[in-house]
Amino acid sequence: MDRQLELLQGTLGMLILKAVSLGPLHGYGVLLRIQQISKDRLEIQQGSLYPALYRLEHQGLITSEWGESENKRKAKYYRLTAAGKHKLQTEAEKWNRMADVIAGILGARPEEV
Amino acid sequence: MRMWSRVRSWLRAAMRRARMESEMDAELRFHIKAFAEDLVRGGVPHEEAMRRARIEFGGIEQAKEECREARGVNFLHSLIQDLRFGLRMLRKNPGFTATAILALALGIGVNTTVFTAFDALALRPRPVKDPDRLMGVYRTKEGGNRGALSYPDYVYYRDHSKTLSELAMWSGGMHVTTSDLSVVASEDALRVAGALGFRLPQLLQGGAQRLSCVFVSGNYFRLLGARPAAGRLFLPEDDQPGAPPVVVLSGNFWESQFHSNPDVVGSTIHLNRVAFTIVGVTTADYIGALSAVPVLWAPIAVRPLLGDGTRESLENRSVGAGIVYGHLKAGISMTDAEAELNVLAAQLRAAYPEVERNSGVRVVSERKFNQIDSEAWPIVAATMGAVALLLLIACANVASLLLARAAARRREIGVRLALGAGRRRLLQQLLIESTLTALLAGAVGLSLASWTLHLLVVEIASAIPSYWGAIALQVTPDIRIFGYTVLISLLTGVLFGLTPALQALRTDVNSALKDNGSVLGQQLSKSRLRDLLIVAQVAACLVLLINSALLLRGSQRALRVDPGFDSKHVVHLSLEMAEPSNGYSQARLFELNRQLMEEIASIPGVTSVTEASRAPISGGNRFVPVGIADAEPPAGKGGEDKRPTAGYSYILPNYFETLGVPIVSGRSFTIQEAETEAPVVVISEATARRFWPDENPLGKRLVIGSANARPPFAGERVPFSPSSEVIGVVRDVRSLFLNKVDESYLYLPLSGSRYWTSTLLVRTSGSASSLLATLGSAVRRVDANLPVVLAPLEWMVSFNPYFLISRIGGILSSIVGVLGLFLACLGVYGMVGYSVMERTHEIGIRMALGARPPQVLGLVLRECARPMLLGTAIGIALSAAVSRLLSAILFGLNPMDAISFAGVSLLLIAVALFAGWLPSRRAMRVDPMVALRYE
Repeated sequence: MDRQLELLQGTLGMLILKAVSLGPLHGYGVLLRIQQISKDRLEIQQGSLYPALYRLEHQGLITSEWGESENKRKAKYYRLTAAGKHKLQTEAEKWNRMADVIAGILGARPEEV
Repeated sequence: MRMWSRVRSWLRAAMRRARMESEMDAELRFHIKAFAEDLVRGGVPHEEAMRRARIEFGGIEQAKEECREARGVNFLHSLIQDLRFGLRMLRKNPGFTATAILALALGIGVNTTVFTAFDALALRPRPVKDPDRLMGVYRTKEGGNRGALSYPDYVYYRDHSKTLSELAMWSGGMHVTTSDLSVVASEDALRVAGALGFRLPQLLQGGAQRLSCVFVSGNYFRLLGARPAAGRLFLPEDDQPGAPPVVVLSGNFWESQFHSNPDVVGSTIHLNRVAFTIVGVTTADYIGALSAVPVLWAPIAVRPLLGDGTRESLENRSVGAGIVYGHLKAGISMTDAEAELNVLAAQLRAAYPEVERNSGVRVVSERKFNQIDSEAWPIVAATMGAVALLLLIACANVASLLLARAAARRREIGVRLALGAGRRRLLQQLLIESTLTALLAGAVGLSLASWTLHLLVVEIASAIPSYWGAIALQVTPDIRIFGYTVLISLLTGVLFGLTPALQALRTDVNSALKDNGSVLGQQLSKSRLRDLLIVAQVAACLVLLINSALLLRGSQRALRVDPGFDSKHVVHLSLEMAEPSNGYSQARLFELNRQLMEEIASIPGVTSVTEASRAPISGGNRFVPVGIADAEPPAGKGGEDKRPTAGYSYILPNYFETLGVPIVSGRSFTIQEAETEAPVVVISEATARRFWPDENPLGKRLVIGSANARPPFAGERVPFSPSSEVIGVVRDVRSLFLNKVDESYLYLPLSGSRYWTSTLLVRTSGSASSLLATLGSAVRRVDANLPVVLAPLEWMVSFNPYFLISRIGGILSSIVGVLGLFLACLGVYGMVGYSVMERTHEIGIRMALGARPPQVLGLVLRECARPMLLGTAIGIALSAAVSRLLSAILFGLNPMDAISFAGVSLLLIAVALFAGWLPSRRAMRVDPMVALRYE
């Protein structure tokens, strides 16, 4: 398998929002889902997950509540809020635009300058 | 209710925090367990799975800390946490904490003291009703000076002013005599003053008492909103020319003299033999718009009754009578009032053109005492600067102490940084620790300051004889002073805590954990600053202490100086007649003196009694121009007298034997010569040497004074004799100034039946002070109403300004010097302690290689010896320069007095070395093996 890619600075929050948008998850579940969607191509530090979750909650983009996990254990589930949904949209748009621009720059041929 | 809901939400937050913590912990644990379970499902054994899950997760504590921060940690919570931690740290190191608090308390306390004094004198508003609207009305002269208004003008303004309400006047004061009271003894009050060498002549007990009395208009108390403590205060009716004479006592006098007996109200007191009714008492320490508490308050109208002869001055428009006060009416500004009063002044000018008038009137705010005039501001600024500097030095010393301790805490800080503590958070915690220390020091300093001030004021107040009045300085700390103290405490805390805190945070985590303490280059720059500080402090201390030793030794010499006359066996008896007549006729006065002298002479133990116009070393210095008779007087421009002046006094023939001044040649006056005031004179040796250096002065003649000379004071006479024969020469004495022998002195004959003097001198066979009581009873036998002050002549020395300055200067500078020494020792302690900490490793190596403890001690102390010796050298040089300036008040002590210089320097070095020895004991106890293992 190829080596995993390191996360770009500041993108973890976006990924968490996306993961949670697909349905409420607890912290471990968020990790699994991101790995699942990215087909395990991303390297995520487990320890940095929770500070990011707390930050997003502090910003009001996700809310949490205690519930029961699959093994009947208590776990804290995170859900996307309306504000979070909106934020996810804008961030995704920004990302795509940025990717376009950068791709354009990187793909420039000498004659096009 | 709002309070309760706030408390409730605070409680909820506190409880929620605990719950949040446990929730966070549960969440993270769940994560790890879930991950482990996945691994187990993959075939990994349970133990191994848990281990791997934990490793994969990373540091739990670190993650938790980041979560907390992400959530937005409550500032208040962190503050409380830091406070609790700070208190714990302070408790763990009681020695260090106590020393730091003491040093800072010194700096803060001194600052607070100076500020309180400054506040009491210059900033506090007068303790009257509505001080912001209190105005003073003054006459202006061309130069802009403020002068007093005359009484008729005052009345005019009072009756016509629309901008100022209730104009009242304070019209000076005088001393009145009463024989209705006996003087309250205050022997114990002199304890501190007496111990320091100050002795004040006390009023004769049982004789008549002199009291200070001020005159105010009838509406004065009403204007200032004063309330009586008993009876009533003045009304305008009391201030009318024919009204029955009334007087108000001050609360202080009521307490000390009458023990607050309410029956005093309504009783009669005779002042200058006029009967007054006491109508009331002011509250204690009531000061009105004055600067000191008087003993009695009287209406202006009664002043003429007391023999002051000012009935016509009250009606005279051109004589200034007093200061006028008033309140601005609502909505009126100061300039409005001044404009209106100037209009009134113009009206007066028009109505009375012949009266000497000045430019107009000025209205000035009387809100504050304004004791500090423009010349004193530089002194005030300098003092505040000096104490601020003292505080800075204290801070620097405590900072160096902290640095020494910070080295020990490096490990702890390294661990905390490794655990994920944010650097800013750590800085906050360290600063809170230092601020806590500073606030505690502030509390100690504040109580020290107020206690010291109270003591000073009480001591000074009790040393002043009660008949002079009382000083009432408001030195109790109020909210402003408290706020000032808190403010500088906080500043101090940040100031001395910042450097060590920043220092501590710069630690590299790795080296801190390994406790690597032997870095050589790291602190060199710091140590230069510290060295400089030590040098400066040692030098400053030395200057203060050496000069204080000089002053104290010098003033001690003053007490022992031989003035040339026998001060130990002569009593000075002074008749304190307040005003010239005091109710006694001229004939009665002469009779009085004669009777007194007879009565006193008959007391066993009295050798002789004499009369003179002044007593030696008691002030009242008088000078007269003198020249050789028939010689050409030195010309001066415009007839100015350019002859040399000589001191003089009028004496009876037995003056010299009473005072023990030997007659060197010739003789004293005969009784005949004295009675007729013949043109003869006795001169001092120095005078003889001055006019006739190689000849016999006896028989020569002097011209004394001039015909048209003006007396220095009304009622005094000036000697004039066109030709006086020198009949005797006496030994030189110090009768004019304590620090030098009289340059020239003349003794003139006194006729006891033609001129009355108020000074008697009594020679005793035993010690003078033992005979005071007997002399007192003798005086009372002659006339029980006489106000008399008795004092042995040797006590007058301590009343001399030169002595006072010398002694007080010595005391003050030694206090400051000792305080400074304490601080300097702290600095040395910190410096040596720090270097020991730094060099533990090196010391271990040396000891392992065979160095003995004394050698190690020498090594450590050598480092601090250099700045100390340099400071000592500079200090001695500076002291020598300063002491030369002081030579005038050293009374003959050599300004380079070896005992003072050497003694103080050695003492300082010894104390400083001791301060350095204390922490270096640790160095000597270093176990080489332990030190070496500190890799």
